[in-house]
Amino acid sequence: MTEKHFEVIVVGGGHAGTEAALASSRMGCRTLLLTQNIETLGQMSCNPAIGGIGKSHLVKEIDALGGIMARAADEAGIHFRTLNARKGPAVRATRAQADRALYKTAIRNALEEQPNLLIFQQSVDDLLVAGDRIEGVTTQMGLSFYAPTVVLTVGTFLGGVIHVGMEKREGGRAGDAPSNRLAARLRELPFQVGRLKTGTPPRIDGKTIDYSELESQPGDEPRPAMSYLSTGEEHPRQVACHITHTNEKTHDAIRAGLDRSPLFTGEIDGVGPRYCPSIEDKVVRFTDRSSHQIFIEPEGLNTREVYPNGISTSLPYDVQLDLVQSIKGFEQAHITRPGYAIEYDYFEPRDLRTSLETRYLAGLYFAGQINGTTGYEEAAAQGLVAGINAALSVKEEGLWCPDRSQAYIGVLIDDLITLGTKEPYRMFTSRAEYRLVLRQDNADRRLTAIGRKLGLIDNDRWRMFSEKEAGIGALSKEMASRWVQPGDAKFENHLGKPLSREYNLLDLLKRPEVEVESLLSLAGLPDNNAGVSEQVEIDCKYAGYISRQQQEIDRVRSQHGLGIPKDIDYSGVAGLSNEVSQKLHEVRPETIGQAARISGVTPAAVSLLLIYLKKHKASAALKSA
Amino acid sequence: MYEKDTIVALATPLGKGGIGVVRVSGPLVTDIANGMIGGIPEERIATFTSFLDAGGSPVDQGLALLFKSPRSFTGEDVLEIQGHGGPVVMNLIVERVVELGARLARPGEFSERAFLNDKIDLSQAEAIADLIDSASNQAAMSAMRSLRGEFSRKVYHITESLVQLRTYVEAAIDFPEEEIDFLEDPRVNSGLDALIEKISDLKNEATQGALLREGVSIVLAGRPNAGKSSLMNRFTGTDTSIVTEIAGTTRDVIDEHVHLDGVPIRLIDTAGLREGGDPIEIEGVRRAVKEIDQADFVLIVVDLGAHREDLNSHVEQLMYEIPNNAPYLVVLNKSDIWQPTTVDLSCEYVLTSAVTGVGIDVLKGRLKEGIGYTVGGEGTFIARSRHLDALQRGLEALSKGKTAFADSRAGELLAEELRRCQLALGEITGEFTSDDLLGRIFSSFCIGK
Repeated sequence: MTEKHFEVIVVGGGHAGTEAALASSRMGCRTLLLTQNIETLGQMSCNPAIGGIGKSHLVKEIDALGGIMARAADEAGIHFRTLNARKGPAVRATRAQADRALYKTAIRNALEEQPNLLIFQQSVDDLLVAGDRIEGVTTQMGLSFYAPTVVLTVGTFLGGVIHVGMEKREGGRAGDAPSNRLAARLRELPFQVGRLKTGTPPRIDGKTIDYSELESQPGDEPRPAMSYLSTGEEHPRQVACHITHTNEKTHDAIRAGLDRSPLFTGEIDGVGPRYCPSIEDKVVRFTDRSSHQIFIEPEGLNTREVYPNGISTSLPYDVQLDLVQSIKGFEQAHITRPGYAIEYDYFEPRDLRTSLETRYLAGLYFAGQINGTTGYEEAAAQGLVAGINAALSVKEEGLWCPDRSQAYIGVLIDDLITLGTKEPYRMFTSRAEYRLVLRQDNADRRLTAIGRKLGLIDNDRWRMFSEKEAGIGALSKEMASRWVQPGDAKFENHLGKPLSREYNLLDLLKRPEVEVESLLSLAGLPDNNAGVSEQVEIDCKYAGYISRQQQEIDRVRSQHGLGIPKDIDYSGVAGLSNEVSQKLHEVRPETIGQAARISGVTPAAVSLLLIYLKKHKASAALKSA
Repeated sequence: MYEKDTIVALATPLGKGGIGVVRVSGPLVTDIANGMIGGIPEERIATFTSFLDAGGSPVDQGLALLFKSPRSFTGEDVLEIQGHGGPVVMNLIVERVVELGARLARPGEFSERAFLNDKIDLSQAEAIADLIDSASNQAAMSAMRSLRGEFSRKVYHITESLVQLRTYVEAAIDFPEEEIDFLEDPRVNSGLDALIEKISDLKNEATQGALLREGVSIVLAGRPNAGKSSLMNRFTGTDTSIVTEIAGTTRDVIDEHVHLDGVPIRLIDTAGLREGGDPIEIEGVRRAVKEIDQADFVLIVVDLGAHREDLNSHVEQLMYEIPNNAPYLVVLNKSDIWQPTTVDLSCEYVLTSAVTGVGIDVLKGRLKEGIGYTVGGEGTFIARSRHLDALQRGLEALSKGKTAFADSRAGELLAEELRRCQLALGEITGEFTSDDLLGRIFSSFCIGK
């Protein structure tokens, strides 16, 4: 390699790293992606699925901003489902089971085809720092690469320790080495470090499973897709998942092995996620349950290996074997890879700015599990934002991050940098106060125009998006001008009651029981684009709720958008209690809105802050004049 | 200038005798004028008019004054409504303004807006900060007082039921693949109905006066024969507006509802505190201590005639015996019998004679200040109104949620209204974050695959 100088260096080739590298290079910055192992680019280290509740919202937002995750999931997806289909459009979600190999191929192809991007296989050992700025990195071989911005996406590799029973060893993922020298280097910097834990189940050879006894769960038809660009034709062959359950025998086996569980003997002190407990945790905590559900997820089209989701464990191998073979359908099962728990370092995300730049080293960005999150989608979302902001900083443009009312990505980042996290952070729709506005069906309408301005959206996607927008406008205009008269038998039969007066089609669509497809067909209007009529329907049916949330958003923005200077001294703000000023000092909010969201910061404290800022600004203006 | 919502507050202390001013500031002022007085008054001209309720019937008559932005106290559009000052009527006016889209102002918020909109000199920044700080503290104390006893118990009970319901609904949304479909669970519908009923009941009770008009409680405490009952009679006797008279369950605790210049007060006479006595008296003292413990304000009554020699040590002894978590005032009574030439007490006191009436007006004045009915301050009455306003908003959200759920079975709309209800109740009981909610879900259900 002859090139030593880049504009952006991305360290790590997982879900965060690939989105970061693609975003910055798409924005025109010369980017270097450093990975320990090119073969593991786009690796799904945990279960082979993309999306799910709250997560597909992130995937579609990444897609709306030109990211790769949704398209890769479409190319690799072997089983698609719509979740919460009947609970309303805002909480509807899409999940794809992915063929691991196809997924990696899709990601790797995208990286290789991307102009401005170089990939190099090297483990990073050290950061090059000048004063309080990053200047580049040094690799294991002693090579140095220079760039004004570095995005670190090192996942669970920092100080990773793998546990199986009472055995433990260092590792970043089963089969991969941890990044201990880099971890040691980062620990020298003033970042606050914590320990988290996550785990995986044992993988099983599908040849040894008796499926005849198990419930089969096919994918949905019509088949949903992840990307706004998808036609459905890129999906490979589809397969079914299966469901089985643990039983009392399983639980007995687990209880018998608890004395050798690193979780219950105190070997593991990292904090695990409450929503994804290990099977031993579930058995111990919920003693009244005699059975727990297991989803058997296929690992791919060209392998028999399966991922039994629901029995993540760090029990010793012999206990794993006992518990697996006690389960219906698994009586003869062969474990191909034992389950394990992994503990790793993460950095207090409240030390980050909204751009995901670290507060202590200018030009250094963190994204993914290093910030205490879990999940491919959460990692990818942060990678995208870090990549965008690294590029913006190179171009000397202002930072960009969506706010809480624009995207789940905004909720994710604001939660992380304002509240921090004590357990691996996963997205849930209940975290979003503007849930009704932040739907997976409108991520493009929320974000694609912004992405275009940022330089992330190519002409093809922009054309498709613009056509869709124009279609939505045209269809609602058409429907508003089509009137149905009382006595119109066709419509009255469909509605099941007579019309009391003249209505236009949009008025009729407001009724909860009326669907857009049937209305269009009754009116003899073409329904060429399901994405278009869906938007018209949701806009119409939810108009009241959406406009109420929009009003709230506008109000909060105007009140809370005000920036807080970086160098503010909270001890000088009259009237603030010590407790509040301490909290503000720890979080260093960038706006009044962020300050208001810190727990314990009262409305009165916000008022005091506003008054201080006003006075401060006026006296600063006076001095400069 | 900040684009803000519209706020409303009483600008004058509550008092029956005088005029009461309700001030409204913000972008909705002209709409509110339209709804309240059926038109927009001419700018800066006092207009005599009726103030109408939602049905168009007059609640009160008085003057309306409109100040257009920026020529107003806050720099925003301001409407001043001058009515007849009685707390119940003023409260109806405030409620109506809230119904028309305003929200109750936070303590000091009018001044804050005036400052932020350059209507108050920058050099006043510290003074405004002080005002907000002290007014907020006072409001917080009043809110705590409003939250005592039965009211508090019911509000917390309602909040707990709401959290349980949300746990079900949000779990159904965020964890659809668990084996129970929480939304289909009949507990969701029955829980929603029960919750609506509970809030309605509490609101009705309050609106009928049991809670709101009960006002603050003031306990007379002291040794037997210190003159507590005579003082009580002075209050009830000079103020003819006795609402009810209820004898306590024992002969030793008596409470009466009186108006102190229009401010509703529950005055409680207690058994004289002393050790020993027969079982009935011991029980009376126990109840007295309980009343004192729950009081908003305590008058410690001292018999001057009996303590000519040991006034200081007697007062100290009383302070030691009386639980001191409420604000108090020492009343040196029977000044007609003996009056010290100098008083050297470390606490605040007034000299009175229940028999001649000397010092009673001073006592009333101090009492009103003590319970927070002062300009810019916020007493229990307002705190209680805030709480009822929050309950009302919570109730509205629940009714909407119920309809939406029945119409579409879409859990997301029900969930949204439950969230709004929680936000409203949170103003009373403290914030309940989405992370708190997730915590409840994970501890209630075995979630996760």
